[in-house]
Amino acid sequence: MGNAMSASFAPECTDLKQEYDNCFNQWYSEKFLKGLSMENECSKQWYAYTTCVEAALVKQGIKPALDEARKEAPFEKGGESADSDASK
Amino acid sequence: MKLFQNTQEFSYPWEQVTAANWRKYPNEVSTHVVAVDVLRRELDSTGTRLTSERLITCQQSVPKWLAMLVGSSNKSYVREVSVVDLNAKTLTLRSCNLTCAHLLKVYETVKYQPHALDASRTVFQQEAQITAYATIQTLCNKIEEWSVKRFGENASKGRKGFDSVLRMLSDNWEQRDKLVDELSDSIADRVAGTVGEIRATTDSLIKETEMKSTSLVSRYSKETQRAFNKT
Repeated sequence: MGNAMSASFAPECTDLKQEYDNCFNQWYSEKFLKGLSMENECSKQWYAYTTCVEAALVKQGIKPALDEARKEAPFEKGGESADSDASK
Repeated sequence: MKLFQNTQEFSYPWEQVTAANWRKYPNEVSTHVVAVDVLRRELDSTGTRLTSERLITCQQSVPKWLAMLVGSSNKSYVREVSVVDLNAKTLTLRSCNLTCAHLLKVYETVKYQPHALDASRTVFQQEAQITAYATIQTLCNKIEEWSVKRFGENASKGRKGFDSVLRMLSDNWEQRDKLVDELSDSIADRVAGTVGEIRATTDSLIKETEMKSTSLVSRYSKETQRAFNKT
């Protein structure tokens, strides 16, 4: 693993992603796992990164399929199928 | 629908495994994963439950017949929603493909939790539900559609090509006809000429011969007569 960080699907967002990832990984290990954090930190890096990603999702035409999947398996349900009990 | 199940153990504590989960890619085995993006991430009010939505971008060389069905792009996307629950000590990842979802859906659920007897180990449980929406009929229709399209493309290409060949041939054909006509005419002429020539030559030869022989005979006859006369 080392310092190798994964790229973003949108090359223009890769730098912002790596800045965010660096911050998140540290927060995750040092604070979250230890039960020391009550808030999702790295908001500054997150904002810059997510703004870039949102635009790229639209530009690359991924948004429609993503919206469909979000309807089917909502984030709020932890990605569980919305109709999991009535699965075909 | 088909089900796939798999269970494995890692000899690392659960906390470490979950931390590594965010850094899983890139790695030298899963080279088909070219990008991982976080689309949404929320921490619940107690600070013990972290939910993340990720977009995983894969790039794999697709077999030709499949590329034909799903388009030429060899990039595919998977959406994953994961929940880290500090109280339950579980990391659950649920993912589904975004690409070709109308043909095939793979719902994968992965759960990491500490080994019941050994906290230094982590149990990995994987389950995948694979549903193909494309019936053989749909696939056949797709292949037929594609084939007809391709055939049409090739046919028009072929037509253009054949047209040019035909044009060239027809040009040559006319020329050939002309050439044959010219050639046969000239041959006929020449033959006729030759025949005439031969005939003429022969005639003259014959005449000459006749004349010569006649004169010879007459000469001989004179001499014969003379000889007879002498005697």
